[in-house]
Amino acid sequence: MRSLQIRTRQYQSSRMVPMPKSKVATQVQDFTAIPLRRPALPAHPKETTHYLYIRANAPKVPTEDTPRELFIVNVPIDATEHHFRSVFADHLGGVRIESVDFEDTWVGKGIKAPVVHADGSRGKKRKRGVEDGKTDQEVGVLPETWGREVHRSGGTAVVKFIDQASAAIALREARRAAKNSKEIMWGTGVESKIPALGYARYKAHHKLRYPDPAILQSSVDTFMEAFAAQEADRTKQLTRQRSEPDEEGFVTVTRGGRTGPAREEEARAQEEEFKKREKSRVKDDFYRFQVREKRKEHAQDLVKGFEEDRRRLEEMRKRRGKLRPQ
Amino acid sequence: MAEPVHKRRKVKHVSSDEEEGESGSFASFGDSADEDEEIESGRNNDGLNGELSRQEEGKEELNNAEMDVEVKGDVHSDGTTSDSAEEDGQTLHEDVQIKRPSPKITNTPSVLRNDARGDATSKPDPIRSTYTANTFRSNMFKLQVDELLEQIRPRQSKREIEAEHALQRLKKTIETLPSRGPLPIENAERQLLTSNRVATPFPNPRPPKDAKYKLAYAKPASVNVIGSHALKTASRANKVVEIDMVVIMPSSLFQEKDYLNSRYFYKRAYYIACVAAGLKEAHGTELDIKFNNFHDNPLKPVLTMNALSPPEEKSAHSTSSKWQINIIPSIAEDVFPEDKLGLERNCVRDQGLGAIDGTAEGQAQSPTPFYNSSLRSDMLMTSYLKLLHGVTKSCEAFRDACLLGSTWLRQRGFDSDIHSGGFGNTEWTALMALLLQGGGPGGRSMLNQGYSSYQLLKATLQLLAVRDLSKQPLVVGADMGFANSTSGDTPVVWDSARGHNLLYKMTPWSYRALRQEAKTTLSMLGDQHFDGFEATFIVRTDNLLYKYDYVVKLDHASIAGTKPKREHQALEVHRKLYDTLHRGLKDRVTQIHILPPSSDSWSLGSAGPSNANNTELLVGFAVNPDTVNRTIDHGPTAEEKSKSASFRKFWGGKAELRRFKDGSILETLVWSGKEGGQSVFEQIVRHLTSRHFGDEVEKGTHVVGDAYKKMLPQDSGITTFTPLMEAFKQLETDIRSLNGLPLSIRQISPADAQLRYASPTTAARGRRQMPADVVLQFEGSARWPDDLVTIQRTKTAFLIKLQELLQESIDSAIARIGLENQEHDIVNQAFLDIAYDSGAAFRLRIHHDREQTLLERRLKDKALDPRSRDIAAIGLAKYKRDYVKTPAHTQAIARLCSRHPGMSGTIRLTKKWFASHLLSNHIADEIIELMVARTSIQPWPWQTPSSVQTGFLRTLAWLARWDWRAEPLVVDLSGSSELKQAELQSITTKFEAWRKLDPALNRVVLFAASNVDTDGTTWSDGRPAKVVAGRMSALAKAACTEASEKQFSLDPASLFASPLGDFDFVLHLDPELVGKSSQRKRSSKNGVVFKNLELADEEDSSSVGFDPFGELVSDLERLYGSAILFFSGHPERPIIAGLWSPQTATRAWKLNLSYSTTPLKRTDAEQVDAKINKDGILAEIAHLGRDLIQRIEDNEK
Repeated sequence: MRSLQIRTRQYQSSRMVPMPKSKVATQVQDFTAIPLRRPALPAHPKETTHYLYIRANAPKVPTEDTPRELFIVNVPIDATEHHFRSVFADHLGGVRIESVDFEDTWVGKGIKAPVVHADGSRGKKRKRGVEDGKTDQEVGVLPETWGREVHRSGGTAVVKFIDQASAAIALREARRAAKNSKEIMWGTGVESKIPALGYARYKAHHKLRYPDPAILQSSVDTFMEAFAAQEADRTKQLTRQRSEPDEEGFVTVTRGGRTGPAREEEARAQEEEFKKREKSRVKDDFYRFQVREKRKEHAQDLVKGFEEDRRRLEEMRKRRGKLRPQ
Repeated sequence: MAEPVHKRRKVKHVSSDEEEGESGSFASFGDSADEDEEIESGRNNDGLNGELSRQEEGKEELNNAEMDVEVKGDVHSDGTTSDSAEEDGQTLHEDVQIKRPSPKITNTPSVLRNDARGDATSKPDPIRSTYTANTFRSNMFKLQVDELLEQIRPRQSKREIEAEHALQRLKKTIETLPSRGPLPIENAERQLLTSNRVATPFPNPRPPKDAKYKLAYAKPASVNVIGSHALKTASRANKVVEIDMVVIMPSSLFQEKDYLNSRYFYKRAYYIACVAAGLKEAHGTELDIKFNNFHDNPLKPVLTMNALSPPEEKSAHSTSSKWQINIIPSIAEDVFPEDKLGLERNCVRDQGLGAIDGTAEGQAQSPTPFYNSSLRSDMLMTSYLKLLHGVTKSCEAFRDACLLGSTWLRQRGFDSDIHSGGFGNTEWTALMALLLQGGGPGGRSMLNQGYSSYQLLKATLQLLAVRDLSKQPLVVGADMGFANSTSGDTPVVWDSARGHNLLYKMTPWSYRALRQEAKTTLSMLGDQHFDGFEATFIVRTDNLLYKYDYVVKLDHASIAGTKPKREHQALEVHRKLYDTLHRGLKDRVTQIHILPPSSDSWSLGSAGPSNANNTELLVGFAVNPDTVNRTIDHGPTAEEKSKSASFRKFWGGKAELRRFKDGSILETLVWSGKEGGQSVFEQIVRHLTSRHFGDEVEKGTHVVGDAYKKMLPQDSGITTFTPLMEAFKQLETDIRSLNGLPLSIRQISPADAQLRYASPTTAARGRRQMPADVVLQFEGSARWPDDLVTIQRTKTAFLIKLQELLQESIDSAIARIGLENQEHDIVNQAFLDIAYDSGAAFRLRIHHDREQTLLERRLKDKALDPRSRDIAAIGLAKYKRDYVKTPAHTQAIARLCSRHPGMSGTIRLTKKWFASHLLSNHIADEIIELMVARTSIQPWPWQTPSSVQTGFLRTLAWLARWDWRAEPLVVDLSGSSELKQAELQSITTKFEAWRKLDPALNRVVLFAASNVDTDGTTWSDGRPAKVVAGRMSALAKAACTEASEKQFSLDPASLFASPLGDFDFVLHLDPELVGKSSQRKRSSKNGVVFKNLELADEEDSSSVGFDPFGELVSDLERLYGSAILFFSGHPERPIIAGLWSPQTATRAWKLNLSYSTTPLKRTDAEQVDAKINKDGILAEIAHLGRDLIQRIEDNEK
């Protein structure tokens, strides 16, 4: 099909942008850009460079751990904690990492505390399904189904070192590495320690997503127990609120009294029903004025419809040009 | 409003019944016609009634409006005006005439005229719009018709002026030509040939050598311009302005008996040759003069003239070929007596032909209607011109109706030429003029002069569709002098005033085709959900690939060669072919259409047309999908001696006498129904041609039509799915028979393409495949928790229970619980996979209707953060799609597939097309299904397709035309107008709201709704993107161009080939690892031959639902988001292609870019740019895919 040379202009434009003469920067704003070398693969037989942007972590609301953390941008999609351990231990000052928080890691059924962002918009903060008043411990988590996470391109992570000094060394080493364009191989010696990507990863996922029913059952049981306890707790609290005035002497009106207020939607349905009954009591063509008004309305509708059609035809003409038989 | 209209309709029916009793109406025409016609007309009437009610709605409104103003409510209270006459038969027009004195009604035509002139700037007023609602289908339709007429109405432009100048000159020349003869035939012919190099175009057979009469030329009695140009009814859309000039031969040249034995035609041929000789001498340098058969009628050669472009003006070829003048010799009306040329008369006596044509002896006095009418039509040229002229004066809308009619015919490939139907502009115009004069019962006219152009068109179509003119000839005018003697399959419209059959050039098949088209158009115009304008006047329907399920190509020379002697009886060979095929294929086909090659014009010096370059005779078939491939045909019983003898004679050695189970002994034909070989249809066609036309013809036969079906991996019918469907029933019984479930089961519904006959592949042993989705709903219970997350856990607990019970009670299946949607804990978390040993696999999810309320509440909860509300929105959309829309859609499509046999195959082929063009991850299955269903449910301008080929190509044709920016796709899947006008209105409103909300089409591009899903965005929210939809349209357009260029030499596979050069990079996946066949290969490699061993192979059931290809695509889409647009060929091609989004253009560096970047420092400034790290990303992808990706092709280098 020779006429298939279809490209949208929109998408072509990205290629056409002329490039000003430039060279790779080592410093961007307050970030240091570390080049990482990625080994070639048969499918892509070429060594490539990936740039990792790194700086000291500076969230809007610092925690006591903040001084020993570094903030990393443009995390490679296949990064794992092992990768970062290896990078810092073997190439950047030999410092040790306590943990790595990836921005988009899913834990259990929700997301773990988000990495704080400069703009804050990416933080996927959300309420936990079960807020277990006393502990932060999540219970009844469903089994994990992926053997290895991958991260979205251009994402961020926070690396927590064992102490503040290590973080400082790491940052200094990173700056030096960037300046000297030190050769840092990504993933050497790591890949053997962690689950493989590719077919094997999907195969493993396929296995993991069918957990043992017994494990699943116990997880669900735990969850339901916690939920029941929480519900009971809440009911108790509500009852208390209902019966005892608070410090200002008010009694809170709550759900679940003796009769219990109806469900909201039930009440609404009732209202609807009532309105309908009201309506059907007087037919809408009973009075002369009703008929007349209806007729007028209809006439107006016709005119409106006609004008609408004209407008549509006008638009059609604009879009397709003149009407001519093919 | 509905109530009063209903009543009115009832009244209407009663009154029309009464009228039927009195004088009959349109509906009564069909009474004696065969059965299926009645059904057909019944359906049409249904549509019309619907329209009637709508029209009356408008009418009533008008009345009421008048009541308001004038306070005289009873003036039009019976609601009958000119428009309703159209529906109820022409009898009603009496009422109209009675009413005419009423000033309002007399106004109608003038209002219409103003409308028709289309003064688009004037303000609309309610009265006018109501008028249009009455006389046209709808406002929109009328506005479009006006627009169209504006475009096609003839006007005086350069080419017309040029042509008319030429006309003047020609006329002058002809009037001054010297007389010749009379000379004996041979002398006359030789003289012309030697002195003027003009061969006399005698029709075959040539005049006998011993003929006594002489040929002569004398100054014509008159020279006149006739035809559509003179009447101003020629459409401007025609490429060539054709002007017919008639030259009336003086009566003195003819003798009383010249109407016999072609003598008139010989003289006529000599006359035209003389004119040709004269014109050649005078204008040979400026005009290209040729002979041509007038309307393909070999008896009547005419002269055609085009301008020869002078060599120095080669560039100006634009005007040269744009006009053509035909010079048609004819005679005065009174030369031969009318009664000698009646349809029952024989005018070709055998003494003239006996010597040449031996076969004529037996039927010496059989009538020669074609010959007679050919001659008669020459005598009536002027008379018809007068008639038409008169009608254009008296009927305002006549010209417009002619233009509309000729456009309608043109788009359907009909023409006055015999090979293209013998029904063209000329016949249409004359027919309508006659119907305005009479044709109704009691000699009244069938059409009313006050009709609008649309009403004229529709009523004429109504006549063509409802009345079988070959069985019940229509006589216009007094019934005298008409005696029908045609063989009963030629249509007759007898014009008594002029003694002529208007439709004499039509063949039985072209007449059937015309009726079919008229019926289709009428039911299309009755379809209220469909704006029929485009399909009526804009779309061309004459491409055989779209029109017919099968096209058979025959070698014309070898067929016609069997009977070459009388040229105009080549038609008889076609008729024999038609009869043979018709008898042989019986109910397998619904339509047979024969398209002989058209004859070309020939130069003055040569003896006749040379048809060397187009010798293909085409036969188109529309088939009945239920019967077309039946393998056994039953003939007459052995006792019926004469019948079985004729059966044997017809079928030859193929007929066998067989005894059947019920004891009957029948003549039988058995065809091989083997897959892979020729289809039964092809076998029959080949057998028939070889038996009745010789082996030579059979060898030249080429059957087109099965190729598309063969593109499918499995059989195109729904039988492929039978095992799966049975397994589903088994599953249902298995689950329902379980004891110990805490809640009883309300419903188990299928919700998957495999369970609606629409998945490209089906379950087969050893194939790694996706389980079919099934939705289970329990009876309601108050004990469900009132929290979304907990509901999901509870559902999981139910599934665990279900799994235990299933494992206990059923041995033949393995049930496993799987997890999904881990990123959102408020949506469904678990499913149950049930794999039967037979290979069928299902994925069961629990539907709990409380979820919807909770999600909606969450969505409205202002206290929640936006992110949570987004998730609730996603959850709600998913809930509706998975539990409500998909099951309903599945049911509707499954029903349609079992009703329309071709549909399942068409859906699968169309999906294959999308996947082949790497669009499968963008266009949802359901949308593709809706597209195909549309082709079946709103097939206009065709009928419901009955084969994969027509279904597929018409779907593509529609896709190419679909302007998704401005048109929603709305399909009424019920097929029985369950989709009400109000719902349709609300769908349109939703569509317009979306377009208003999102005019750049960033979110919803394709809007596809159906009666089970009035939202329209269920399957297209977010994808495809605009660029992808654009590509889809472009690909469909390319395919259609290909189809119309190559016609049936089109190789279906070429429509599925898609070049990869359009993409920025292409990932070639390992077909072994992602392919569907790997399982089978492995097991055969291991040498597993025993069924039970294979069963034991645990690999089999645990690999159900394993789809690394799909996982990789969704991973890539998630990781790279909007930076890269991925195109997946899943499951057709192991390829993923990608385009870099324009958003990734180099820009100032910032923190949160959603793609990997390289920081670049500009040499001239401090600023640091972020450039997308394409190499790095490709390497990342390579690492992600590892062994799945064999090769990455980077097209940017």
